[in-house]
Amino acid sequence: MIVTALAVPFVIGLLLMVGRARVSGPVAAAIGAAAMTVSLLLYALVWEGRDVVSGEVDTSWIEPLGARLHLGVTAVSWPFLLMTAFIGVLCCLWLVARDTAPALVGLVLVISASSLGVFSSLDLLLFFVFFELALIPMWFVIAWFGTGDGTRRAATRFLLFTVAGSALVLVGIVVIGLDGGLQVDETVTGSLAAAVLVCLGFAVKTPIVPLHTWLPDAHSTAPTVGSVLLAAVFLKLGTYGLILFAPLMDRFADVAPYLAIAGVVGIVWSGFACYGQDDLKRLVAYSSIGHMGFVVLAISTRSDVGLAAAVFGSVAHGLITGLLFFTAGSLKDRFGTASMAAIGRGLYGRTPWLAVTFVLAAVASLGLPGLAGFWGELLSLRAAYEIGDVLTKPVAWTALALALVGVALTTAYFVRAIRLVAQGEPVEQDADRDLDRREAVVLGALVVAVLVLGLWPAPILDLFEPFTVVAGVAR
Amino acid sequence: MSRRWIYVALTAALATAASIWAVPRLDEPGWFAYVGQGGAGDGPPLPSLSPDLFLYPVSAQVVLLAVGVGLLVQIYSTAYLGHHPRYRSYALIIILFLVGMIAVVGTTNLWVLLVGWEVMGLCSYLLIGHEWQTAEARAGAAKAFLVTRVADLGLLLAILVIGETYGTYDIVGAQIASSQDGVASSTAIGLLVLVAVVGKSAQFPLQTWLPDAMPGPTPITALIHAATMVAAGVYLAARLFPFYADSTVVLTAMAVVAGITMLMGALFALVQTDLKRALAWSTVSQLAFMFAAIAAGDPEAGTDHLISHGVFKALLFLGCGCLMHAVGSSALAAMGGLRRSMPATFWTMSIGFAALAGVIPTVGFFTKDSVLHAIEQSAGEDGGLATGTTYVLLGVALVTSFVTAAYATRLWLRAFFGPVPDGRQEHHGHEAPRAMIGPLVVLAVATFALSIGQPFHLGIGVVGTVIAAGGIAVVVWSWRGGSTLEWTTRPLTAELGLDRPFTSWAPAFARGVSRTVVDLDRDGVDVYPRAGAGVAGLTSRALELVQTRNVQRYATVIAVGVLVLVVAAVIWT
Amino acid sequence: MPLLYPLVLASALFGIGLYGVLARRNAVMMLLGVELMLNAVNLNLVAFDAWFADVVHSGQVLTLFTITLAAAEIGLGLAIILALFRALRTVDVDEVGR
Repeated sequence: MIVTALAVPFVIGLLLMVGRARVSGPVAAAIGAAAMTVSLLLYALVWEGRDVVSGEVDTSWIEPLGARLHLGVTAVSWPFLLMTAFIGVLCCLWLVARDTAPALVGLVLVISASSLGVFSSLDLLLFFVFFELALIPMWFVIAWFGTGDGTRRAATRFLLFTVAGSALVLVGIVVIGLDGGLQVDETVTGSLAAAVLVCLGFAVKTPIVPLHTWLPDAHSTAPTVGSVLLAAVFLKLGTYGLILFAPLMDRFADVAPYLAIAGVVGIVWSGFACYGQDDLKRLVAYSSIGHMGFVVLAISTRSDVGLAAAVFGSVAHGLITGLLFFTAGSLKDRFGTASMAAIGRGLYGRTPWLAVTFVLAAVASLGLPGLAGFWGELLSLRAAYEIGDVLTKPVAWTALALALVGVALTTAYFVRAIRLVAQGEPVEQDADRDLDRREAVVLGALVVAVLVLGLWPAPILDLFEPFTVVAGVAR
Repeated sequence: MSRRWIYVALTAALATAASIWAVPRLDEPGWFAYVGQGGAGDGPPLPSLSPDLFLYPVSAQVVLLAVGVGLLVQIYSTAYLGHHPRYRSYALIIILFLVGMIAVVGTTNLWVLLVGWEVMGLCSYLLIGHEWQTAEARAGAAKAFLVTRVADLGLLLAILVIGETYGTYDIVGAQIASSQDGVASSTAIGLLVLVAVVGKSAQFPLQTWLPDAMPGPTPITALIHAATMVAAGVYLAARLFPFYADSTVVLTAMAVVAGITMLMGALFALVQTDLKRALAWSTVSQLAFMFAAIAAGDPEAGTDHLISHGVFKALLFLGCGCLMHAVGSSALAAMGGLRRSMPATFWTMSIGFAALAGVIPTVGFFTKDSVLHAIEQSAGEDGGLATGTTYVLLGVALVTSFVTAAYATRLWLRAFFGPVPDGRQEHHGHEAPRAMIGPLVVLAVATFALSIGQPFHLGIGVVGTVIAAGGIAVVVWSWRGGSTLEWTTRPLTAELGLDRPFTSWAPAFARGVSRTVVDLDRDGVDVYPRAGAGVAGLTSRALELVQTRNVQRYATVIAVGVLVLVVAAVIWT
Repeated sequence: MPLLYPLVLASALFGIGLYGVLARRNAVMMLLGVELMLNAVNLNLVAFDAWFADVVHSGQVLTLFTITLAAAEIGLGLAIILALFRALRTVDVDEVGR
């Protein structure tokens, strides 16, 4: 089932790229959406419960290296998989427009399929293969379909950074493989080098300050679906990698404090960076760094609560930032730029639904309780408060304090953005146009998802409920 | 027209449902009491949003106050704001707000409480910014949201600490656990809760957002920024009182905050030239009264005052809206002499002002009396506040009563008596439509009706009445003496400059740091990739020197190389 | 006949050829140098074939093979040089390299 779920979008994506001259854009996008829907449904149906590996596939691959074709869905990867497939469907739906290039749809499918492969892999080498497979198409997406100045430069920058990160991860995987094999469910290593290399490699991808400078450029030049995939799926490859590898490495404890501090410094740093941004897409890109900081903080505690926080935070960030980038993309489609000064004030009056969606996305992103963004942040804070096994109290509580500052800053810059774009005396522009049906469908689906996860976090949290509920609280 | 009443009907349905749920609970005994036994677990579970609805008598009162005022405000708004192009979003946000308020009051699940708490904050933000074309509304909304949200982090942490300490996120469960295990984190929890309620209820030092929230539509001010949301801070402090009841540190801190705020708010209210802003400062001061009661160890007196204040302050704000509707401004200078042209507004607001000043037999008198009594009683008790602190607090409260009576009288006189301002003689004021007067009458009746069954404490009651009468008398006397009652004491009209950290220092700091960060991010952090690119470029240029594109030179190198290898092989073998 | 004579001759031929390839600027001369080196190798092959008295005469077979190859190479090389001369009016490799 998993193989089918991976193969369908992959094959269709390759076919669309090969036959890009024979299909029109909207048809290609519709085919792509269908393929991703199949994948989504298969992944939803494959689930057998949190205590077993669902839909496991395990056949021999490269015997001398001990690498196997080992795929499966676990409680950790399932939310990632569903989110990725969901975002993939929405990206394809977004491309159902007259001026879509079929090749772009193909690239989106290949990227989504590769990312799904990363989340399904239970073999470290297979993980790495899929991890790399997702990179190259993204270079094409940014370099060929990007807009604005310096797309090629931003794309190359992105590729160099992430490939350098991957190289570190590969060396780490080799070290782990020599110590304990390549199977996720068996291996464990006591090597400090492996821990450092792997964490550094994923830190580029996540990204953790100061390894983040590829991200704003890539996001702001990429086309809308590219930005969405980058933010919602690509950054998750980094966090998922950290989540997956952290339990495999005994010496993770030595790296964890640095990881935690770098994460929260990233929260504060990105908060200030966002406060000074004019370009909406850059702002959202920097805000992603902040949210990933919360996830990294949660992972660095290596506790059950931290795990739940990391998974929930990643998934919620995927949905919310997807929503933000789709909104910013709608604005960019209309005004040709995502600069807040150029878009002008008073969108509430000019394009009410678009403005309301933007405000809702911003409010969700700043972590308002009742929307999806809150629970991940909250659990991160709780994980830091409880300290966990690998951090010390000073480190954990310093991180907690910085994270709280970051929450306040997040509120500040989103309130500023709302004030600059949504509110204010409306100055009508020719490009003012409210949501069309395609945009409304995509944005509406994400809004519903954000609301549902916000008001009903149980589906994901129940996967990680490690505690027995307090018994017998009578009234 | 009929469209607007749909929202009223929706609100009414919500109010009815809430009342059916709440009214039977009013008569149940107990003050946030818990029954039954429970065992503490290993650790708190992951948060969940199960509703866990449960009402105590006090919560039931607050729910009824919220939906009652909410319904009246919704009716009032049909006339006040009915022709606004964005009436739909306005009315829907009010309903969302009421749902949030019910969630805060009606649940025992701390997470549901937090969600409701923040939803209220969001609604407040959206409604203050309802007139988003104007700069004041935008600034006020942003400030209110930022200040309250930063303070809400206190509540978030408090919930985390409660969960870690007692192993559950259920208030009742935590109370049971705390009664069994003793109290470990009571001071931490109490201080964190204090941070949260200081922000939400606009107490010192986070008081400045509330007066700046006044650009919001006046019905919203009545509902959110007087009767319910800001009072929810008091409710929360009372609700979680058992967790920090025996922490002297927390109670003293709360008493200090309350003492400073009540007197400061009253003095600011005394010198305002704008009716709405004066009422906002009055709200700040009255909320501090409630906190004083809680700090004195009698949260019940605090919540009683919450209910009565909610009624009469809603009445005053809605009346203020009628005046603004009539004269087109909330400045006191534009009013004066309105008693003839607006009799209904005059009489209902007079009742409201009387309640604010604490005139018998309005409900305002009785509940203020209870608060003063509570403070007096707590002196000399074991635990809680030190006796000295209590007497200082009592003294401040009595002075505040005096000032309160004075400013209430001043506002009343300046709005309704005296000469009509120049240039406004013709058509000065006209009575508001029935949809606006109706709610005023209902609230005015409630101001008396709620005093039925309220306790009366003879000693402090007499003192309080004398002080209030003194305050009224002083103002009336100076008004008779020809004073215009325009008191402009410079530090007070500038509100002591307490606003400056929020309006200039914090934004300037954030802007400065952010500019540095953006520059550093571009020029500083990027050094190593750029340095890497530079090194790679240099290396490639160095290697380029060898690649001459001259085949003969390559061949020479090869030939020499072969020769060297052969010679080396011959020599070393 | 001692093996030394053909070997010395082959070395001399190879040295002259190498010199031609490395030192001459004229492409035709370079090609001639390559041919000289090839023939030095051929001479070596034949000499060792005779010296070892190889039953299958692999040295001679290889030499025939090389001669064929050299013929093809010189044809192709001269054709390229001719094309070069037609295009650039020179067969000086330094000038062509520019």
